[in-house]
Amino acid sequence: MNENSEDLMPQGLPEAWDTVTAALVSPAPVTDECVSDALNLLCVKGLGQYLEGWLLETLQVSLASNIAPDFWAGLQQPEVDSQERDRARTLLESFRTLIQRLQPFLCGLERLGTWQDESRAGLHGPGAHGLRERAFSIIRAILLFSQPPVLHQRVLEFYSRTFSVYMSQTGEQIESDDVVTDSDFCTGCATAPHDCWCQDALEQLQEFSHILSRLQLLERVSSEAVTNILHRLIEQRMEQRCRGEYERSFLSDFNDWLDQILGWLRRVFASEVSNLPADGKTDYAGSTILQRWRCHMQQFFCRIYVNMRIEELFSIIRDFPESTPAVEDLKFCLERTNQRQQLLTSLKSAFETRLLHPGVHTADIITVYISAIKALRELDPSMVILQVACQPIRKYLRTREDTVRQIVASLTGDTDGCSELANELSRADPVTLETQDSEDEGSDPEEWTPDPTDALTDKTGSKQRSSDIISLLVSIFGSKEIFIDEYKTVLADRLLQQLNYNTAREIRNVELLKLRFGESHMNFCEVMLKDVADSRRINTNIHEEEARLPEEQQTPVPLSAMILSSEFWPKLKEEKLELPAAVSKSMEAYTHRFEKLKAMRTLSWKPHLGSVTLDVELEDRTLTNLSVSPIHAAIILHFQDKSTWALEELSGVLGVPQELLRRKLALWQQHGVLQEESPGRYSVLENATSRERPDRGIMLIDSDEEGDSNTTTQSEQREEKLQLFWAYIQAMLTNLESMTLERIHTMLRMFVASGPGVTEMDVNELQAFLQKKVRDQQLIISAGVYRLPKTTQ
Amino acid sequence: MASQNLDPAAASSTAALKGNETAGSASKGSVTKRLQQELMTLMMSGDKGISAFPESDNLFKWIGTIDGAQGTVYEGLRYKLSLEFPSGYPYNAPRVKFITSCFHPNVDENGFICLDILKEKWSALYDVRSILLSIQSLLGEPNNDSPMNSAAAELWENQEAFKAHLHATYKN
Repeated sequence: MNENSEDLMPQGLPEAWDTVTAALVSPAPVTDECVSDALNLLCVKGLGQYLEGWLLETLQVSLASNIAPDFWAGLQQPEVDSQERDRARTLLESFRTLIQRLQPFLCGLERLGTWQDESRAGLHGPGAHGLRERAFSIIRAILLFSQPPVLHQRVLEFYSRTFSVYMSQTGEQIESDDVVTDSDFCTGCATAPHDCWCQDALEQLQEFSHILSRLQLLERVSSEAVTNILHRLIEQRMEQRCRGEYERSFLSDFNDWLDQILGWLRRVFASEVSNLPADGKTDYAGSTILQRWRCHMQQFFCRIYVNMRIEELFSIIRDFPESTPAVEDLKFCLERTNQRQQLLTSLKSAFETRLLHPGVHTADIITVYISAIKALRELDPSMVILQVACQPIRKYLRTREDTVRQIVASLTGDTDGCSELANELSRADPVTLETQDSEDEGSDPEEWTPDPTDALTDKTGSKQRSSDIISLLVSIFGSKEIFIDEYKTVLADRLLQQLNYNTAREIRNVELLKLRFGESHMNFCEVMLKDVADSRRINTNIHEEEARLPEEQQTPVPLSAMILSSEFWPKLKEEKLELPAAVSKSMEAYTHRFEKLKAMRTLSWKPHLGSVTLDVELEDRTLTNLSVSPIHAAIILHFQDKSTWALEELSGVLGVPQELLRRKLALWQQHGVLQEESPGRYSVLENATSRERPDRGIMLIDSDEEGDSNTTTQSEQREEKLQLFWAYIQAMLTNLESMTLERIHTMLRMFVASGPGVTEMDVNELQAFLQKKVRDQQLIISAGVYRLPKTTQ
Repeated sequence: MASQNLDPAAASSTAALKGNETAGSASKGSVTKRLQQELMTLMMSGDKGISAFPESDNLFKWIGTIDGAQGTVYEGLRYKLSLEFPSGYPYNAPRVKFITSCFHPNVDENGFICLDILKEKWSALYDVRSILLSIQSLLGEPNNDSPMNSAAAELWENQEAFKAHLHATYKN
């Protein structure tokens, strides 16, 4: 060993070294005595400590130069056209050879370790256990330092096969694409029954696991393959079973399946033959590994599941409440993975791409929003997801002009599509909208939980995060007044359209809304309903009085009036219409009676609103029970006295613009009562048979596009409001020369008298409005101040 | 959002109260209301050539603008006025004077106006709009019997000379 001390080397030392080293690596047991003597000699001379180094070195050298290359070569061998079954056998064979060739060294190490443990001849060292550890790390290092992909492929293939064999034996079919569930083939090994090698495969698996575990390579070699297989299977299974299927819970289903897989894993990770689950119990080490795998798989399942559901969340929300099971599963899994942020981002963008574009009806957006509220409050009781993800919807709804109308309409159950809000409204315990005042939360401070980290850090705080659908919808616009105003309009429309004094349903709605918005806010609506009831009474009264009069004093046209308290009703549409004298006379008579009935009050008629029922008698035919608008009735009444009218003449009598009149005349043309004999001249068609009606098909249509509503629409109101604002702005700029945006805004807020719809104009809206005026050159902006252009002076 | 839901009437009335602490407290609410109403009427009326608006957040102090009527020597000239409303308004007349100096028989060098309806003939039925319209017509039809600016009154007879002097001295 040492060149310099060669002369001093005691007798028999080289022999002793040879004896001991030979004994260590020889497969056959050596006689104890001569080894002991030699060992003693070595130790006395202080050479005992080098034995360990030598042995490990030898192992390393032979592993690197022979064993490992041979192992890889053996594994590669039947590269072409080999059967799966052969490949499995080769894999096993390679490992068998490997362990055989390593065996001598392992035994030697064992022996040396034992000596060290026994401190034989004063030998000391890490002991059997420590040596084994070192040897295995050398083996792992050399063998797997650069592993060709072939090992991984083979192991993967082998495990996949044994897995399907195992599953087929435990009764579960693997529904993978490449396995044909053809009865001719074994479901396990996919071969014809006569050369089924299922049993072989399981035995091979057992031996393979055994070898690997003895070499301590089990984790290293198998983990990756097993992980791979499991991930693939879970994904596959999820894809097949869960995708698009929201009405069933998959959690327990999955857990059962997981248990089955664990049975297979138990075989893969069985470290000892005896530990197979045949006796029903596993050894401790095995079960911790399995436990780990179980957790891993659960984690993995959750992640995959959440991923998939995040993709599908929009559809799940759309299908809610049918998709409740999916939401519950997702909730369970989401709590175990850290994917809330991903969910939020994805859901937000799904909303934006699928919902919030001009092609979607406002009603549909609201419906989805309601579903989202319901689904997300299940998913996340803290409401943070709801609040954050639905922010874009709320923002978008604010820009739609008909949002309020739609919400109010569905609140009152007017639309056929979405009756959910009506149901929500009539729920047993409505939450009042006064959430701000709820100082006493009524909850124990101990039960306080912090907000999730992804909560919006705005001033509202968690207690404002309401989940009440109606409150959420109403709060889109920041105030309930706008809803109440809109409801007033809707209510007015309904009452005025029916004209039958039947208010049962409206009374119910108003009562329900009172519970939500508070008595005081619904005051106007109450008055409106009372007006209707009063009108009915007054009508009856006046009619009775009239009936007592002698025939000749009775009014020519019987009237029923809807008497509205002008202060409390929304603005009615203004239109000019001169009614024929007969009708005006009836109205005067009615007014007269009303004044007698209600002292100090009078009626101001809206001649263009209402409905007229009349019969038209012509020479050869009678049209009965036509229900038309007052202007139609007025037109035809004029034709009673004079059968031909020029358009401008009629327009003068009625006080209606010609254009409008022409459109209104179309109704009678359609009925075949009037005809336009020459442009601008209309006459009565007394005999239907006297003339063909050639223009029947191409008849002008009485485009009643504005006819549906008696009250001014929101956009009209808005236009009016802007006009008013513009007058104020012009005035203030005329007198105060130049003003900043803020100043204009403050002034408007201070001096524009409050009225319905007038007060809402935030700075941004105002700025946009002013920008528009600047573009129209009605306004100049320089250095942040607005002024009027000189030319308008 | 909260600021939007403020009742503007309430906001302005408190502002007005602050600005006019000497005013009789009992009538303040109704005066504010009346002025608010007058402003609204003025805005809605859309009269050409007259205009007025509160100067700041104080509803009791307005700035008015009058354009000289067509066909008079004042055509093309624009005059600014200040209007101050007493707490007794509308039973007491507002104090109205020109800010822009105005060469006119019935307006002195400080802008004070001699107009009967602003003095002894004042009535609660008048409002800002009628005051402004009256002043506008006063420009074209001065009362030369009781001039405050005698030079102007003398020159009035010669419309050409008056106009030349007026335009030469006009300063906006």
